[in-house]
Amino acid sequence: MSDLARIEASDHGAARLVRVSGEIDLSNAREVMEAIAGAVPDEVAVVFLDLSDTTYLDSTGIAMIFRLAERLGHRRQDLRLVVPTDGPVRAVLDLTNVQLVAPIEETVPDTPDQA
Amino acid sequence: MTGHAGTPKTTIRDSLRAQPHLLGHVGSLVVVGVGYYLGARLGLGLSLVRDNVTPLWPPTGIAVAAFLVLGRSMWPAVAVAAFAVNLPISASPLAAAVTAVGNTAAPLVAVTLLNRVGFRRQLDRQRDALSIVFLGALASMLVSATIGSATLALTGRIPAGQLPAAFAVWWTGDAMGVLVVAPFLLSIPLFWEQPRWSARHWVEAGALLVLTAVAITWAIRTDLHLLFLTLPIVGWASWRLQLRGAAPAALIASLVATWGAAQELGPFAGRSLLEQMFTLWSFNACVALTSFFLAALVSERMQAADALAASAAELEERVRLRTAELSEANARLLREIRERSEAQEQLSHEEARAQREHQIAETLQRSLLPERMPLIPGVDLAARYVPATADVQVGGDWYDVVQLPGGLIGLAIGDVAGHGLQAAATMAQVRMALRAYAMQDPAPSSVMRGVHRLVAQLPGTEMVTLMYLLFDPVTRQLRFANAGHPPALVFGHGGGAYLRDGLAPPIGVTADATFAEASHALRPGSTLLLYTDGLVERRGVSIADGLERLSAAAVARAGDDLEGLCDGLLSAFLEESHVADDVALLAMRPSSVVGGPFSLSLPAEARMLVQVRETMRRWLRESGVPSKDADEILIACGEACANVVRHAYGAHPGDMGVEARLVDGSVEVLVRDDGAWRPAADRGGGWGLQLMSALMDSVDVEHREGGTDVRMRRRVAVGDRA
Repeated sequence: MSDLARIEASDHGAARLVRVSGEIDLSNAREVMEAIAGAVPDEVAVVFLDLSDTTYLDSTGIAMIFRLAERLGHRRQDLRLVVPTDGPVRAVLDLTNVQLVAPIEETVPDTPDQA
Repeated sequence: MTGHAGTPKTTIRDSLRAQPHLLGHVGSLVVVGVGYYLGARLGLGLSLVRDNVTPLWPPTGIAVAAFLVLGRSMWPAVAVAAFAVNLPISASPLAAAVTAVGNTAAPLVAVTLLNRVGFRRQLDRQRDALSIVFLGALASMLVSATIGSATLALTGRIPAGQLPAAFAVWWTGDAMGVLVVAPFLLSIPLFWEQPRWSARHWVEAGALLVLTAVAITWAIRTDLHLLFLTLPIVGWASWRLQLRGAAPAALIASLVATWGAAQELGPFAGRSLLEQMFTLWSFNACVALTSFFLAALVSERMQAADALAASAAELEERVRLRTAELSEANARLLREIRERSEAQEQLSHEEARAQREHQIAETLQRSLLPERMPLIPGVDLAARYVPATADVQVGGDWYDVVQLPGGLIGLAIGDVAGHGLQAAATMAQVRMALRAYAMQDPAPSSVMRGVHRLVAQLPGTEMVTLMYLLFDPVTRQLRFANAGHPPALVFGHGGGAYLRDGLAPPIGVTADATFAEASHALRPGSTLLLYTDGLVERRGVSIADGLERLSAAAVARAGDDLEGLCDGLLSAFLEESHVADDVALLAMRPSSVVGGPFSLSLPAEARMLVQVRETMRRWLRESGVPSKDADEILIACGEACANVVRHAYGAHPGDMGVEARLVDGSVEVLVRDDGAWRPAADRGGGWGLQLMSALMDSVDVEHREGGTDVRMRRRVAVGDRA
């Protein structure tokens, strides 16, 4: 894992909360996705990917999110993103219609949605 | 017993010998007296005129020999014996006594004269032979002849007219007695005084004596004049056996010849008294002279030969000793040469070893220090390492630049105490440790603590000076800690200042250490200079003066680019021929981007994308571009660069260039490569270009000869911190 991004995972009710801080680009996208997937146990139904502290996310990162959503979908797991409206990566997410595969929340919901 | 004027002086040697052995002395007197008397009887038996005129008077020789060998204290024996001999044949006892006085006085005079001239009774020198002939025989016997013949005439035993003849006969008889008998007697002590004869000598002597006797006997038995035949034999004896062989031979020859004359045999028959006397006298003189002159001559030659042999032997011995000395000296010299050459060899061995170690240390040092400064966007860097010219002084100085997360830059310079391989190895460990600690936690105090812990665990702990600085290119803040290293210099056109805070003792000196941290804001256009003590330390120059000189020299070169600055400082502070101590130099200057265009060229690799963003982000911030705009421009630029990384170059890596500038309220970004883009159909994703177009006002992709240019433009509200 490069120095660019750091992954922190924790249980959030019945869901899994994975927080990514730092930057995601071509150099580390694959690693980041493996780290996130590895931080999610099979029994979890919902995964919150918190990108509030992510300062940079490019198209490689978008592709990574699509692939991650697809992969979690195979395991019947929902991916939801947590990104503030004014966050640095929000524009990119909006422009690429990520909501189609992963709904975007402003903050981590207090009561995890039981899917 | 009258007529003796005084007791003859005895030599000290004689008295020493005589006194303790009184009995021996008396015995000697008796022997001499009896010998004298018998010799006289023999002489009378050989007389030519009645009982008085003898051609050979042995007792005189006996007396001379006795005085020479036993001392003149033997005179009473001679006097008594002479009186006893003369009494029956003299006219009166008085006449006998007078004659006896003459007979005693003559040998005493002879011996006195001989002693006076240093006569040696060994008769082994020519001068001894001459002495006994002329002093011992001819001169001294004038005394006895004068007294004896005068007594004869006065007592009427001979007519006055016969006095000269009587004198001549007496004189020659006594002289012959000395010449013939004395050498024989003198030769007798030599048998035990000189080296003993071997059996061969005895046989030869016997043979010679027999031969002499035969020759002389035959000569007097024949009418032919063959007396001279004995001479070669006597000469032979002299030659072979010297006095000990010659004297007996001469005695035999003379006695036999004299006896022959007395009997008027052979050559003496029918001759007048005068003829007989003359013949006999000539013969005896020849025999005597031949014998001891030749003997003396041979003795001298032999002595000379012995002396020569002795000196030759001595010379040989000295040569032998000298040769031994020389050979010992030679051996010593050889030993020294060998030792010296061994020492030389060892020395050159050590020299070679030291040189080899020097080369290894220098090579190690160079291989460990960053050969090229990393290309870090936003800062210019330059560094130099100059090894000491002296063999043992290499190693220990080092510097490093580390890129850290968050766009931070770690800078370090240090010096490990000691030189050579050990110091270089320690340096390598410290440098690697510092990199690791900085990655973990870039805070200066934390890094210093880590290095301190490491050094404390190194075997044979060395003292390490180290200054570590953490630079944030965005804020231009320097945070630093310094463990005993010369302070870093910050300078610009306005002057220079040393970063003297954040000081702690050198690492490894104290067991426990806390490291204070200080900070400094690097003003735009300022330069940071790190160095090791080799640059400023000079014999006879205080450290303070050295630092002042460095500061002045640096300020004077504030306008130079960093490479020029480093070269200028090194040439100003180091002698070309002799560098006493290693020197390491590291200069850093934030790139001046404010207002100006931004240009960057980097390897087209994924890991470089973050550099581009860091630099671009800073430029955008400093150019007053609002952060919202800046974030989106960064994404567009990043997409363009990522495309270059992914698509521009196949297997052959190349560079990507990024330029940006503010033109009429718009940010213009140019991303270019020198590769050949693959067909669009091959490209995956598709969001890249979509994002660029969405985020920027315009995007133009131009495939030119040998590369592609992507131009993007976006209007920004410069100065508006929305």
